[in-house]
Amino acid sequence: MKLGIVIGNVWASKKTPELIGCRLSIVQPVSSDLKENDLPLVAADPLNLATGGDIVVYVTSTDATQAFDSGFAPVNAAIVELVEEIS
Amino acid sequence: MFLARVEKRIVSAAKHKAYDGKTVYVVQPVNPDGKPHGKEWVAVDYVGANIGDIVVCGGAPGVARDVFHIELAPIRTLIMAIVDKIEYTDR
Repeated sequence: MKLGIVIGNVWASKKTPELIGCRLSIVQPVSSDLKENDLPLVAADPLNLATGGDIVVYVTSTDATQAFDSGFAPVNAAIVELVEEIS
Repeated sequence: MFLARVEKRIVSAAKHKAYDGKTVYVVQPVNPDGKPHGKEWVAVDYVGANIGDIVVCGGAPGVARDVFHIELAPIRTLIMAIVDKIEYTDR
């Protein structure tokens, strides 16, 4: 998994059925001292954990599909934790 | 898998249920000589690692589901070993 900051949202009226009703956030990957260290990506937020400005943990690769209750969605990035503190 | 040093701990109240009760660390990949290289990862610990430990991290897709015996586990990187000693020859 990686750390990131939610910097935006994506609205799409036409999309794969599994993503209907699911928030699509734009996440800026950061290091633990909150410095940007990669290109922004789109991550699904099926649990509605985060909004703009929040620090999150997101999972990549096929494990991201398991963030959905159905256990399947054609995604490879999903937000799994809303970070309170990094110490 | 990769070698890493446990750097910081992540505290979170709102999360996927697979993370409940689990210790989540920020880990910095390191070379066998301990020098950091590459970007940090976030990893779930289940062997009792602490900040400052050198550990072995990694995991294949779906492994967390078997390790934690839960149905849905969106966890990719696991801390699976705490390193006591490293022997290596520099190429």
